[in-house]
Formats: sequence, structure tokens, C-alpha cells
Amino acid sequence: MSIPFRRSRRSVCLLPKDCRTLLALACTATWFVASCSRPADSTPEITIEHEISPAPARIGPVLITLRLSDRAAKAISGAHIALEADMSHAGMSPVFGEAKESEPGRYQAHVTFGMAGDWIILLHVILPGGQKLGRQIEVRGVQPN
Amino acid sequence: MRIPGLGHLFRWHYARPLLQAPLLIVSVVMILHGLFGPALAPKNLATTLSWLHFRGLLVLVLLCAGNFFCLACPFMLVRQTARRFFTPRFDWPRPLRNKWLSVGLFVVILFTYELFDLWSSPWWTAWLILAYFLTVLVVDGFFKHASFCKFVCPIGQFNFVASTLSPFEVKVRDQDVCARCHTLDCIRGRREPVSDLVVIRGCELALFQPRKVGNMDCTFCLDCVHACPHDNVGILSRLPGTELLTDPIRSGIGYFSRRKDLAALAVVFTFGALLNAFGMVSPVYALESWLGKVLHLGREAPALGIIFAFFLILEPVVLLGLAAWLTRVWAGNQRGLLPLMVRYTYGLVPLGFGMWLAHYGFHFLTGLYTIIPVTQSALASLGWPLLGEPRWTLTGLPANVVQVIEIGFLLLGFSGSLAIIYGLAIDDSPRQPMRAFIPWAAIGLVLWMASLWLIFQPMEMRATLMSG
Repeated sequence: MSIPFRRSRRSVCLLPKDCRTLLALACTATWFVASCSRPADSTPEITIEHEISPAPARIGPVLITLRLSDRAAKAISGAHIALEADMSHAGMSPVFGEAKESEPGRYQAHVTFGMAGDWIILLHVILPGGQKLGRQIEVRGVQPN
Repeated sequence: MRIPGLGHLFRWHYARPLLQAPLLIVSVVMILHGLFGPALAPKNLATTLSWLHFRGLLVLVLLCAGNFFCLACPFMLVRQTARRFFTPRFDWPRPLRNKWLSVGLFVVILFTYELFDLWSSPWWTAWLILAYFLTVLVVDGFFKHASFCKFVCPIGQFNFVASTLSPFEVKVRDQDVCARCHTLDCIRGRREPVSDLVVIRGCELALFQPRKVGNMDCTFCLDCVHACPHDNVGILSRLPGTELLTDPIRSGIGYFSRRKDLAALAVVFTFGALLNAFGMVSPVYALESWLGKVLHLGREAPALGIIFAFFLILEPVVLLGLAAWLTRVWAGNQRGLLPLMVRYTYGLVPLGFGMWLAHYGFHFLTGLYTIIPVTQSALASLGWPLLGEPRWTLTGLPANVVQVIEIGFLLLGFSGSLAIIYGLAIDDSPRQPMRAFIPWAAIGLVLWMASLWLIFQPMEMRATLMSG
């Protein structure tokens, strides 16, 4: 026996109320988390230029040359710069170094890249006035020997 | 389960939440640190715990015990709590009651892992964990039983395949006790006599204990253990891999030899192991660069897609097809090509597991202690330097020591595959087992040599996402 199907004129919501509530909660949570962001750098007036030798960088010791200057392009002398080189993958040991000032505003440090791939060099800088700032230098594609 | 203390723990109704709660707390910490902590992967709990410790411990626990990570799954704790407020109304769609969706998701995870370098991004790692929680809530919020576990979860499917090689299994102690049982609590749940309401649920993955064979689809949730009124279900020891030697009808699964979707899962598991490791060594960048030049590709995605298609589709089809053809021609096996490929694919699972162990074990063991400085740093950033200054020089075991362990894992996997392939060959061709064995053993040898080559390649990890 076939039962005639009558199409209702009312719109029918296929989802029960608690399922709609669940979906709404999930979307709200997603939107909330997506709005989160990290704060920006607060010392943009200090410029740090860098050179890495050899270029392109290879596994082994490299010389990093840094030039610090202020907004007026004046060299900043007497800063203390500590370097930390990390790979982009968790679990790899960081490499530490300290830069020495070779001329006013020009600092040099040696670090050793132990593996090929992408590295990030974190600069922990203490300016002559005691102000601290951090920067990072991306060193992509360190080559194998 | 007969071990004092441990047996009492697992029989306790709240054993699972007790194990899940700490992992839930860790997951929340990982999400928060991934979203708000340092953008550098080696300094973030999300990336360190996910890509070093979770993956490494997962494969080691599967090797030494069983699918205990599914037992302690924090996603299920959230889902179970949500089900106190939301009742799923729908049955999982019949056309999707197979592994094809989860195979696809497994491949998508492997692909996005490589394309977006998830290992280098705490932000995206946190989002992956969040997406997992949200997906569990949505899927198991709408659909009844353990639909997410059985038909969707890529981590679960990985665990199911790997746990076919685990030394422990949830199974019946005495089949005679089950033969006398009329209430079938292990699958129907323990019910109140008058109202027939379920007071202790049974297996949500449709595994009827008296006919359950092996660990496939078993999340070690222990619902059957708690529901059984005769204390006749336990976590029992067994010889690893034996379930791959036989092809009985399995409750909730059917015959392995008739499940092309399960065979596809085994293919992705095995060939994906090599592909995932290949993505971290120097030759892959040369290959991508060459593909880019030859095919004039400006982006990584198409080149990576071609590599994936080659390793996960073309290579398995060619190798397995060739071995199946040789088995028909040389051993006189009357089965069709596809049924032969499906049957013997399961024999390669130990090899694949050996490669996952070698790869994940390498990252886990070489970065074993990195959780200490990352945790020290995380606490210090909150103003709680309880554990002192971060000791960033702490890493793990030396790489040359771990490499020996990797070779051991690969040997173990290869031996396991040879043993299973030989068992299948004897079953197929009792008079000439070597003729059925050799083609598949040769495939195993090729994959094993490729695995060995991979672990000796220089690692080169390049990321596109270096700041968040």
C-alpha cells in the first residue's frame, strides 16, 4: 500500500534544536579564537641590517655581521647583542653566540649551522640606555655540504 | 586485567575519564600556547608536544602495548560531556560506512602537513587540534554511536592499522561463557531489567565480542569490559600480527580480503610512511624544484600533489599489481589481480609500521628533553618561573645512537612483513609457497631498502611559515 506524500507549505528545518545550538556554539568558538592575534614589535625606530657569510649559507660556521642604527641613520655603539639560532622544527638544539663590536655600530658573531634547512636567528639586543629589543632574521635554505 | 592494581583500574567505570582528563588539560595548554605563545616551533608546547612527544609515544605504545591512546583520547571526553546536553539523532549514512572518507582525510592530513609545514607552525598546529575537537563535536553531536572514531578520525585509523601489530588485544576470555549468554551486554549494553534502559553502554563501534577478531576498529574504550556481567572480556596478550595471517569474518568489519577500503588504508599507512619521511630530507626539495622547472609550476602545491599521487597511487598500483600478476602466473593462483593485491597488502603493514617507528622515534628520542626548557619558558612567560631558567641546551639522545635504533625498527618491520607474507603464501599455495612468497617479499625488500636509504639521507627542513 503506498502512502501519498503531501508536500507541506511550511519550511521544514531538518536539524533538531539541540543540534542547531551545538552548531551555533561551534561557530562562535571558532570565530572567537580566530580573532586572537599577537602584539606587534614596539621598537620600530631601531634598524638592524645583517649580512651572512658565506652566502648562500651552508652547514658549518658562518659569520653574521649586524649594523645597528637609529631613526636618523646614526650608528648605535655599545649595544650588547646575544644571538640564538633555531631551526624551524621542534626538537633541534639551538645554537648560541655573542656579537662583538668591530667598529661603531657594526657587530659580528659566529654561529654554527648544524643541519640543512631553514633557520631563524633571534637577536636579543640591550641598547646602551638599557632598552631591550628583540628581532629575528630568517635564514632560508641553508645548504648541505 | 588480572594484574593487581592495573586490572582494578581498567575495570573501574571511570578509568577512561581518569586517563582522558590529563590529556584534555594538556591539549588545552597546547592550543593556548600555540595561539598565544612563541611563534617559533622549538619554543612552543603545541609543536613540541604534537610533533615530537605525542607522535613518538603513540607509535611506541602501539608497539609495546596497544591502542591505549584511543582509550585516553581527550576528544572523546569532550564528546561524552557534550552528549549529556545534546542527543545525536541520526545514523551514520550508509554509503559512508566504510573507510574511504577516513583514508581521504588521512591523505589530506599528510598533504597539508607537508604543504603548510605544520611542524614549524604553533599557530596552525593549535588550529589543527581545535579543528579536531570541533569536528568530533559536530560529527558525534549529529550522529549516533562512535561514528567519528569508526568512519572519520585519521589518527584513529592510523592506530587501528598499527594496533594489528600490538601485543595486546581486547577479547573474550572464554567463548563458552559467551555461548551461554543471552543478554549480549557487550554490544547491547547493560540494561535495566524492567525499563530496558541502557545503564552501561556496549560497544559503539559494532564489535560483538564473541565474534571480534583482532584490533581493527577497536578503540580500547573498554565499554565491553564494563558492560559484560560475567567479567569475561579483558585485555589479553597475543602474538603481534597474527590477525593479519588469517581471514575470518570479523564482527563489525567483515572479511579483510573483501574490504578494498581497508586495503587502501593499509596502502596509505605503508607507502605514506616512506612519503612522510621523504618530505624531510634533502632530495625532496631537488625533486620539487625539478618538477617545477619541467612542468613550469610556480607553486609548491601542484608539485607536491604530483609527488603524492606518485607515491600513494601510481607506485602502489604498479608494485602491488606486478607482484599480484607474478603470483597468478608463477604460483598459479586463481584469484583475480585486485583480490590478490587486497589480500597481500596487509602483509606490508609491519614494514610501514617499522618506518613510522623509525621516523617518529627519531624525532622523539633526539628531542626527548626539549619539553623541559619549553615548559620552563612557558611558565616563566606567565610570571611563574617555578622550574627556573630554561635550559635550552637540553635536547635528547645523540643522532648516531638513535640511528641504530631506527635500523632496528626497520629490521623488525621487514621481518614481520616477511613472516606474514610467508604465512599468506603457505595458505594460498601449500605446494609451492615460495612462488607466491617471492614476488611480495621482493616488494617488501624494495620498500625496506628505500626506508634504509631514507634514514641515511641528510635532514633538511624548510618551512614556509616562520612567524605567526
